[in-house]
Amino acid sequence: MSIYRKCWSFASVIIALLVCVACVAPPAAPGASSAAPASGGETEIISWYYYDQNNTDPQANERVGNFYLAKTIPLFNEQFKGKYTWSNVPHDYNLALDLVTAVQNKGDIPDVMRMGASDLPTFIVNNTVQDLTDFIKSAPWYSELDPKALTACTGPDGKLYCVPISESPYVVFYWSDLYPNGFPKTTDEFLKEAAALKSQGKYALTYWGSTAFDGEAAGRYYFQVLSSFGGGYDDGKGSMLLNTPENIKAVEFMREIVTKGYSSESVFVGNFEEEAAFKDAEAGAFPTGFFVAYQYLNPLTSPKGTAYKSATAKDMEDAVKAGEIKIAPSFAPEGKQPGCHNDVFGFVIPNGAKNPEGAKAYINWVMDPTNGVDWVLNAGGGLPVAKSMLSNAAFQTEVFKQGATAGAASDCRAWYGSLLKIPEAKKIIATTLFDLIKSNPTADIAAALTKAQDEYNKNK
Amino acid sequence: MTPRKVRSGNFIARLLPFWLLLPSLLIIGAIQLYPTLFSFLLSTQRVESGTGRQLFVGLANFRRLFTSSEFTQSLVHTAIFLLGYAILTMSLAFGVALLLKQRIRLTPVYITLIFVPWVISDVIAGVVWRLFVVPEYGQFSPFFANPSLFGEPNGISILTSPAHNQISPDFPFPPAPALIFLIVAAVWKILPFITLLILGALQTVPTEVQESAAIDGATGLQALRFITLPLILPMLTVALFNLILGGVNGVGMVFSLTGGGPGTSTEVLSYLLYSLGFSKLDFGLAAALSVFIAILNLGLITLTLRTSRAYEENI
Amino acid sequence: MKKTSDEQLVLQLDPNAVSPKTKARLLYMRKVARPWLLNLALLIVCVVMLYPIISTTILSLKPPEEVRRKPPVFLPCDNPTQSFALGACRFSLEGYARIFLLRPDPASMFGFVVTGRLFSQYLPNTLFYATAAAIGTTLFSGMAAYVLSRYRFRGRQFFLVGILALAGVPLLTMLLALYQMNINLRRLLPGYDERWFMVIVYIGFELPFAIWVVKGFFDTIPRELEEAAKIDGCTPLGALLWIVAPLAAPGLASIFLLAYVNVWNEFIANYLLMSKATLRGAMYGVYDYIAQSLTSYNALAAACIIVMLPVIVVFLLTRNVFFRSMLEGALKG
Repeated sequence: MSIYRKCWSFASVIIALLVCVACVAPPAAPGASSAAPASGGETEIISWYYYDQNNTDPQANERVGNFYLAKTIPLFNEQFKGKYTWSNVPHDYNLALDLVTAVQNKGDIPDVMRMGASDLPTFIVNNTVQDLTDFIKSAPWYSELDPKALTACTGPDGKLYCVPISESPYVVFYWSDLYPNGFPKTTDEFLKEAAALKSQGKYALTYWGSTAFDGEAAGRYYFQVLSSFGGGYDDGKGSMLLNTPENIKAVEFMREIVTKGYSSESVFVGNFEEEAAFKDAEAGAFPTGFFVAYQYLNPLTSPKGTAYKSATAKDMEDAVKAGEIKIAPSFAPEGKQPGCHNDVFGFVIPNGAKNPEGAKAYINWVMDPTNGVDWVLNAGGGLPVAKSMLSNAAFQTEVFKQGATAGAASDCRAWYGSLLKIPEAKKIIATTLFDLIKSNPTADIAAALTKAQDEYNKNK
Repeated sequence: MTPRKVRSGNFIARLLPFWLLLPSLLIIGAIQLYPTLFSFLLSTQRVESGTGRQLFVGLANFRRLFTSSEFTQSLVHTAIFLLGYAILTMSLAFGVALLLKQRIRLTPVYITLIFVPWVISDVIAGVVWRLFVVPEYGQFSPFFANPSLFGEPNGISILTSPAHNQISPDFPFPPAPALIFLIVAAVWKILPFITLLILGALQTVPTEVQESAAIDGATGLQALRFITLPLILPMLTVALFNLILGGVNGVGMVFSLTGGGPGTSTEVLSYLLYSLGFSKLDFGLAAALSVFIAILNLGLITLTLRTSRAYEENI
Repeated sequence: MKKTSDEQLVLQLDPNAVSPKTKARLLYMRKVARPWLLNLALLIVCVVMLYPIISTTILSLKPPEEVRRKPPVFLPCDNPTQSFALGACRFSLEGYARIFLLRPDPASMFGFVVTGRLFSQYLPNTLFYATAAAIGTTLFSGMAAYVLSRYRFRGRQFFLVGILALAGVPLLTMLLALYQMNINLRRLLPGYDERWFMVIVYIGFELPFAIWVVKGFFDTIPRELEEAAKIDGCTPLGALLWIVAPLAAPGLASIFLLAYVNVWNEFIANYLLMSKATLRGAMYGVYDYIAQSLTSYNALAAACIIVMLPVIVVFLLTRNVFFRSMLEGALKG
């Protein structure tokens, strides 16, 4: 019967595959061995990052963080030999929600997790993270922290829930050759410049306009523009407030950019496709988070054709040093201060963590100025919030100076304000604004904004 | 031979069916039945914010679900998707099956090649089709960006262009290009399977019957309507079952092809279920939706069965 | 509904739609014209069906600057004067290199080790899940189907219909309960291995359909063979093992294959149930490439090709088993 022959050939394929994998794969994944219970009084500190120490791809999106972990984990374990071992469980961008699910169901809970402050409301609503007020206030580095960053880590009850380490204001990166008079300060000037750039065949702007990643757009460009017009997403009391005259003007402005073709179609695709237009200088400016630009915008090709191709953060450093890229605050209507969302990155210790003491030791270790600088540059992103780290030579380069200046010139706050249901808010805001500026450029703005805020407030 | 031994032998023999059935019973009970019942229960509960306690809320989750605009939208998207998916797949599969039925030397080779897409996973199929239409770099992008073919100043871009609804922005038809593209990709993936089903059924129809009908002057369509169709009707029903279940429950392709976008234009029920449960962590609402989907599935299947029975009786 | 021109052509060539009106024409069609037209039509269908795979393969072989070329070209084989010149082809294995990530290692058998996680983690995991789940599915469905085919007992019909009705419940629904079940089991059982939980989950997902298909196969095997064996002193279990199972081997083999391919291709359950990336399978590997190399489309395409290749090969080797099981399953189900 031919069926047996088929079975044999199938079996041989499987065996061949097995043999291939067995021969070629490394004897044991490093993660697997370190995950085993540590011996001799050592306790294990489990961390969650969206970096993967086992990913050795030199061009991976998160290569900087991946390599940071691969380099740092052995150093830490060496230093704390006999006391702690640090093992990292890699996650994808969903890690905040993974954590909530894990804590709710008492699953695999890490001891410490790298997070952004915009995850905090979700954690607080779901009772996911520990109150760190006492730990932070008694820590030696407490006095050095920027009070603004501490605010970002404060819950509605006034307690501190996360340790802030770095912050990343949303500013505008631009090619100085495409904006020879500097990046326009007002929206009217910007529209003029944009028209001029369009006639040269360039896009004035590229930005995150897509609804991908569950509405991540809400905290990025959309908020930057809305807040520069004096608008925002909330009423300060936990309700969503979108239908304001400022927001309507901002939406009209964003519509104009899209309908007049000042930005490319790829800004709406998501998956970071919009970055490409800035990297090869097809688009003149990129309003984005400081750390996004610093860490991910490489390699670069300038309008003149200069190539920065180390594919590391050095490219941005070099381009800014050469004066080809400059950093400015966002545009704002005449007489308004540019708005910006400030991302704050740091650590939380979840409820149910097995080794909170180890986690605190780990945080203290990261807060040590030398380790901290390394962390901010490679794993956190942006500018350090501790003065002792900020004074480090690594942050005296042109790119950091310009970034800090641009951030200081803007009115930076958290995009979500007093909103607590972040996943819902993100999605409603992003889809509504996307719909208004891209899908239905003639729809009634006020009506759509009211509908969106009602949808959120209905189930409060 | 002691009586005891005989009895124990009988004992094992008598209970043999039970032992053989037990593993399946246990596994299906634990992996399918229990979770289903669990989510039915969950659909009447809500997690209290701040404490994480489960509260009984009766039908409040369903009320919340049915009044949310997301739900109505994705229901409409699912309906459009399902219709397009079923009609396109059925007609194309029927055509291809008729071609394959004419035995020629290379038919087995063709069948094999046509069947390859079926073994590819949804996630990968989604990625593959997404790569076709990434703006500017995708292979099909220049074609869709052609203004003389697709109107608009710059043509359309599958992954970002909205629906062009002249009547009202809320009117769901015609759907966004992305939804149509999703349908085409999904049809590509399922077509081999449905083709094979129909081919299998067609091969049970004797050729002589068809030929004699043709000689008697029956046109092709008449022969199809009165001879072939009744004979393969059961199989068409089976094919429809598969299309409905796959179309309503499948989420992998939406996941990797469009991610529900642009905006919410490809958000179908199964994707909404994912996003409610695992990005908004609103498990009560997600459970309510899954109860709704389960009922919808059963309803659609019953409807298909009824229609095909009624049709059979009419012939 | 849009159709590509190729598919429309196929529909026009449908022999029933252009049915011949006279016997002579019928003969002519059958002898001369039809084979040619059929071949042509089927060839077009094949090309349409395989085009996405072919173009992905080509994409995976393009160097980065070709991937990011505007407007895109199908083959990177043009030079300034010609649109196609074989010598000008710029193919590169860079995409694959990023998946394999070979690192020289004198201690290893081939002088290098593969450090790409697709190979060190995801594919071995998938291989394990698919093999174990396929074996389990075949075994358990064979046992259950034998009972359902040979014995009549109360609840039999209920069981058969019930497991089909469960197919209407979306898979995502079950995942939260299973997630909690996994966590509870881990707390209760020392030495608990989540991999086996994943395998059991997969078996659970595959079983209902498998039981129907295998029952169909068993139903076609005449009972007389077993009766004869029993008279000769064979126990019912022996009859199942030595008489029925070998006869139903094609059915069991096809269930094995179907389960294998389904598990290989499964993403969402594995992704949501296994919280550690080290326990996730190849589909997560592909998803990981979407997340980690978002715009390196050549690497993404290479990952897709590598992950789908094994199932395509298995399918090509065992296609007839596949076809039989699909038809069988569909008819019985």
